[in-house]
Amino acid sequence: MSTRRILAVARKEIHHILRDRATLFLVLFTPTALLLLMAYALTVDLKHVPIAVLDYDRSPISRRFVAQITAGQDLDLYAQVGSYDEIERLLVQGSIKAALILDPAFARDLYALRGMPMQVIIDGTEPESGAFAVDHIARRAETFVTQALAAQLQARGLPAETLRSIDLRVRTWYNPDLKPKNDVIPGLISMVLGMPALSVALALAHEREHGTLEQLLATPIGRAELLLGKILPYIAVGLINVALIPALAIFWFRIPFHGSFPLFFALSAVFLFAILALGTLVGVFMRTQAAALALSFLVIFFPGFFLTGIFFPLASMPEEVRLEVLGLPGTHYAIITRGIFLPGVGLEVLWPYAVFLLVLGTAFTAVAALFFRKKLG
Amino acid sequence: MEAPPIIETRGLTRDFKRVRAVDSIDLTVHRGELFGLVGPDGAGKTTTLRLLAGLLDISAGQAVVAGHDLVRDSERVKPHIGYMAQRFSLYAELSVLENLHFFAEIYGVPRADLKARTERLLAFANLTEFQHRRAAQLSGGMQKKLALACTLIHQPEILLLDEPTTGVDPVSRREFWNILTDLYLAGTTILISTPYMDEADRCSRVGLMYAGRLVTVDSPENIRAAIPGELIEVYAEDWQAARRALQDVPGVLEVQTYGEALHLLVDSAPRRLRQVRAVLRRARVRYRNLRPAPLRMEEAFVFLIHRLGSE
Repeated sequence: MSTRRILAVARKEIHHILRDRATLFLVLFTPTALLLLMAYALTVDLKHVPIAVLDYDRSPISRRFVAQITAGQDLDLYAQVGSYDEIERLLVQGSIKAALILDPAFARDLYALRGMPMQVIIDGTEPESGAFAVDHIARRAETFVTQALAAQLQARGLPAETLRSIDLRVRTWYNPDLKPKNDVIPGLISMVLGMPALSVALALAHEREHGTLEQLLATPIGRAELLLGKILPYIAVGLINVALIPALAIFWFRIPFHGSFPLFFALSAVFLFAILALGTLVGVFMRTQAAALALSFLVIFFPGFFLTGIFFPLASMPEEVRLEVLGLPGTHYAIITRGIFLPGVGLEVLWPYAVFLLVLGTAFTAVAALFFRKKLG
Repeated sequence: MEAPPIIETRGLTRDFKRVRAVDSIDLTVHRGELFGLVGPDGAGKTTTLRLLAGLLDISAGQAVVAGHDLVRDSERVKPHIGYMAQRFSLYAELSVLENLHFFAEIYGVPRADLKARTERLLAFANLTEFQHRRAAQLSGGMQKKLALACTLIHQPEILLLDEPTTGVDPVSRREFWNILTDLYLAGTTILISTPYMDEADRCSRVGLMYAGRLVTVDSPENIRAAIPGELIEVYAEDWQAARRALQDVPGVLEVQTYGEALHLLVDSAPRRLRQVRAVLRRARVRYRNLRPAPLRMEEAFVFLIHRLGSE
């Protein structure tokens, strides 16, 4: 193993990165651009969901209920309608996402403590908004019933305090406002920082396609020297992004960072090693850049997106993909970034994931070195 | 006692999925030879050179290059060879000097020698004034010279050059060959493949490849001498008519066209000259410059390939 050769390859690769605009853009700016794009697209808080109300009761109580439900920023009253047909028309048009129908007996039943006869219709093509509306209406209805009961008890001279037998006070730790971005963005970091893996996967295929690999293979350079020389510059570029991306998350998106920066950098470097090794593995097997690109998306990005737990909790994944999930560096790194950002945990919690990443990186490198032969064809 | 050959193969064979690209070649190249590998496209020249450079697995047979077994130890062969691929295979975004330095580092050229060597090679290849230009911006001929300079940076004993002058203008081609001649005179062993017969004529020995086999190996003089017959050259106004008329004349072994000229390979030029003249007159084909001509490598090559093709 000659450091001189490794450095020669690394220097050559840096020249390539710096002088080839497309590569430079790919490695330096895509992670930032991707984070901006996805963070905005994926963390939209649900607000102002438009609904229609069909009030058959038309009593002061039903009107007060509608007013309470549509107060605040969650649900907007798009229209008061007179029939089911109108509801259907508005739903089909997409003007409303849900409709609330109050029974003619709404106020009477509530007064008699027989319940609150009402119906909610939601647009099943947009289940998120619909579920949000149902959830919101149900919570408001509970409050409304309690208030109505308390009013009646007081009217009959009974102490209303007996109603407060259950006092559930929810306190959310680490992300008190339950802002989805505080959870999604640290997760996304694990994905966008994997972008240099794509460049590595393409870099070997690039040499193959341009014939430069043929010249290189005719020299006495060692296989490991060649692979290491090619990976090193991308680790360096990756580390630049490791500084850039959290800065973006903290100063632009205002994500609280409770952990330790040195730990974050150290574990990010370990992750880079693992993900770049995976990229190298892809590059070793694929002959053309197009094929390397396709395979990178298949084994690095799609699973990185869907299987690493950024959006879908790991616990909800079927048994069949559990093993695959553990083999993805992003899975472990997503846990690390989220852990360091919000609860601010340290190595005492995160060490198993760091070990996982080291093991994966070593395994990928070993397989790549095993299958990379200094031969053409 | 004669020194052992620097390249020696026995039954060297390489199979690709559907074709046997190189078929059981026995090739011997001695130290200091300038050996030309000729043959039509697809004959297996490139595959042979890649096998000798250790770039492809050998399907069958043996090969020893610079004293190392190519099957067992192809990596040990590499420090001894300078290989130049047919297509441009340097780093286009690096400058001339950076390319030279890159290969110097890869081959482990001693740092103390680096400056002197690169300067000498740049001068040698007439690239000194272009040393800071990116390789992508060089002309085709300059790229070839740079590639040659890069393969020479570690002063290899053997040069394996795959059609280094294809697609290069005649002036650059001549310049390139002047460099090769200097290297040859300095004792470097050169194995070069070429589609140009005038280049084959400059080699000390020539091997003719056809359909993966090495069919003839000899000096250019001997190859020419082995062709039965002599050459008559004629410029006819209607060369197609002339060709038809002359094809079946007894004693005419082959008719080849060279631009405006027709080359007739005949059993004996003095005996057939008068006959050819008579045939052309009878066919009412006007002509000028009917004369015996020296047989060149080109005619010999075409004759041999045609004979192989009809076998």
